[in-house]
Amino acid sequence: MIECSHVYKRYKTGVNALYDINLSIEQGEFVYIIGPTGSGKSTMIKLLDGEEVPTKGVVKVVGIDVGKLRHSKVPIYRRNIGVVFQEFRLIETKTVFENIAYALEVINMNKEVIRRRVRAVMNLVGLDDKGNAFPHQLSGGQQQRVAIARAIANRPKVLIADEPTGNLDPAKSEEVLALLEKINQTYGTTIVMVTHDSNVVNKHRKRTIALEHGQIISDSKQGGYVRRDQ
Amino acid sequence: MISRIWRPIKEGFLGVFRHGGMSFSSASAVTIALIIVSLFSIVTINMQRFTQGLEQSVQIAVLVDYDHESAEEEDRIALAIQNIPGVAKVTFSDKEDEFQYYMDSFDDEKTKEAFEPFRSKNPMHDAFYVEVTDGTELEGIAQQIEQIEGVSSVNFGGTSATRLISALGTARFIGAFIAIALSLLAVLLIYNTIKLTIQARADEIQIMRNVGARNGFIRSPFVVEGIIIGALGSIIPILLTYFGYRYIYNSSGGYLVSNMFSLYPPVPFIVYICLGLLAVGILVGLLGSFFSVTRYLRWKR
Repeated sequence: MIECSHVYKRYKTGVNALYDINLSIEQGEFVYIIGPTGSGKSTMIKLLDGEEVPTKGVVKVVGIDVGKLRHSKVPIYRRNIGVVFQEFRLIETKTVFENIAYALEVINMNKEVIRRRVRAVMNLVGLDDKGNAFPHQLSGGQQQRVAIARAIANRPKVLIADEPTGNLDPAKSEEVLALLEKINQTYGTTIVMVTHDSNVVNKHRKRTIALEHGQIISDSKQGGYVRRDQ
Repeated sequence: MISRIWRPIKEGFLGVFRHGGMSFSSASAVTIALIIVSLFSIVTINMQRFTQGLEQSVQIAVLVDYDHESAEEEDRIALAIQNIPGVAKVTFSDKEDEFQYYMDSFDDEKTKEAFEPFRSKNPMHDAFYVEVTDGTELEGIAQQIEQIEGVSSVNFGGTSATRLISALGTARFIGAFIAIALSLLAVLLIYNTIKLTIQARADEIQIMRNVGARNGFIRSPFVVEGIIIGALGSIIPILLTYFGYRYIYNSSGGYLVSNMFSLYPPVPFIVYICLGLLAVGILVGLLGSFFSVTRYLRWKR
């Protein structure tokens, strides 16, 4: 589902963000990418969602060579993946329903199908009664659930979550984690979750890839957050 | 297909409504800018009319020598004048008409009575009145007419007339320049306000890109919003212009100071101005939003 082969990323500023990354993530896997600030986690996400191109190497997601994508094709590529961000990134002037529906409108889906699909994901994330609410009327946890609902509305094969619990308290983080696990199990969606929350990683053990200074320093199938010096 | 057209329109209206504060401030900027445009357009266009009217009213009076007042001679003189480049129109007035004009120029009957005995021994000349196409050529044409055989004298108001025409030309130029400069400033003001409105929504555009929206899909509702703001902002200037001008025209009788300064009648002049204001509002709103959104959609990997 996701293949990185000898991936390097060097920014114009001269910063080497990623150095010879090789990894393979199978369909239906739930993988954590962990590491301290500046380890290359964000760059990894940017490469996966087509925001950046690798300086060297190949990044393939759902069979698409993301680095070779033409600029105009990036929006179409993004319809294959769902992305959830730490800061939710909801459109403040759209209701919950409209925020989720937007991801389906961009693919020109039939209005009635959109309505049904949005209702279904709202039910999945437990926000059935919040369709007409605006993001500012919701708690942080609820906003993140809306963001997840939007990300999975068009049933992507891959869901990338960039620090989805970063702005949430432990209880809400648990809710979000439980929801992501549910999506992973219900739809078989491949989930790549970037986090530095060791509690989450240790409690919900999954395959864990640790980055440091732009390199993979460990790739543990058993999971858990194991520091290099431990 | 219909939904593709309908969606941006619906989203555009919704955007204006939901960003009420920003839409109001943008529309207010459009209103102020268009009032300035309207005011200066009306003043400048009417000034053009005044000055053109004045220029056209300046004529060269050509008096025919007593010895050349035969019909053949006068035809020859008329033809010679007509052939001078820059001459627009030549009108003949015989000495009886000239005497009558002279008499009519007096308001009191006593003076008229005093001059009446001269009618039988009319001292006036047959005359030609020459209109020119360009007021600044007045002096040169007058000099050429003076050379024609049979012309007794030429009168065009001398240097004061040419100075007046040249001053009117300068006033017209400066007026047009100020109007254009202010209109451009107003357009820039509208453009920048709409640009700022969209800048404030850069995050929204980024989110739309994240979920896989194509540039056109993102841009179209913003462009509709720009058009709506431009149109809304032009409502007050249009109403002020339409009713304000009609009021001024009707209460002044269509003239300012004297008959020489006649205003354009409100219809169709003011209708064109109002349509122009609406067009400027809509066009600048459209372009302002189009270019501002495009700025945020232009990104390199």
